[in-house]
Amino acid sequence: MIGLPRHIVHRVLLAGLLALSAVGARVALANAPSLDVLSSQALAPSGPAPLLGPITAVGRKGWECRPELAAADAGWQGAQLPERP
Amino acid sequence: MNRRAVLALTLFIASSTVCARAQMYQTPQPVPRTTSAPALHAQAVAREVRERFAIGLDAEGRADWPRAVAEFERILSLAPAEPQGSTAHYDLAIAYAALQRNDDAAVQLRAAIALDPGFLAAMANLIAVDARLGDLREARAVADRFVTLAPDSARALYSRGLVALTAGDAATAQADFERLLARNPSYAIAHYNLGLAEVKLGKNADAEREFESALSLAPTYARARIALGTIYLSEGRRSEARSAFDRAARDASGDLALQNVALAMRDAIATP
Repeated sequence: MIGLPRHIVHRVLLAGLLALSAVGARVALANAPSLDVLSSQALAPSGPAPLLGPITAVGRKGWECRPELAAADAGWQGAQLPERP
Repeated sequence: MNRRAVLALTLFIASSTVCARAQMYQTPQPVPRTTSAPALHAQAVAREVRERFAIGLDAEGRADWPRAVAEFERILSLAPAEPQGSTAHYDLAIAYAALQRNDDAAVQLRAAIALDPGFLAAMANLIAVDARLGDLREARAVADRFVTLAPDSARALYSRGLVALTAGDAATAQADFERLLARNPSYAIAHYNLGLAEVKLGKNADAEREFESALSLAPTYARARIALGTIYLSEGRRSEARSAFDRAARDASGDLALQNVALAMRDAIATP
């Protein structure tokens, strides 16, 4: 730029900055998620049920086997389903 | 008359004595003694299995998963009879899953079910492990069997409903969450999932009612509020949608990703 008049240097710099900001805005617009994309992210089903716990050497049959009872329970709390949304 | 009364009283006392005797403890049986080498070996193996179960379960209780894995792997190497075989596979799967070895956990749970085809807890855990692995096909097959064996089980209906919803089978998801809610009308999460199934089926009015039910049961349920906002948005109720997303962003303060989604949705709606 040495040797060029100052006002030309200013104009070139200004034009460069304008071009850069235009490119930046275009990239930002292209990356902005649409409402559809956002909706699909938000409308996810709830989490899976946690694993049922261990069972003793006696096995799953009988009234003392809590995991097996939980697996068959008709109530969501007895079934140990997720409690908090 | 007196004779009859005496006879009845005698019979009553005699029958009471029989009942009382029936309740008495049995005399302890002597421990079988043998000098047979195979029998002694079998007794030693049975004892080792029992003791390793106790150690393995204690390790799982302390979240010492590598120790639990070692104990249950050793039990399985001893080829225990049922129900200890299927139970050892099941307990080993829990330890593997805790160590994020989900492929190994699935193998063990399949083995447990093969040995005991009615093992509901193993089916429940296999569906959860398959969901982690993204194996929706096996998860659905196991969930179908789980529901067949235990049609009233809340876990069976919840698990199959979730698998169906994730796989795009909204009709099955809708039916399962409706059945779950028939017995559990106060379960907010089931209302939310039912609403999602109804959105996929194009039943927006029904979905709106389910999301509102979920929010009446759990007012800070941010995902349900966002879902309700999307229904408002689809109906052109922009102001209500914006308010819903704004409230959801505040309610989701503990979940940064969800909060950002709610804020982005709110800001994407142009103010009038």
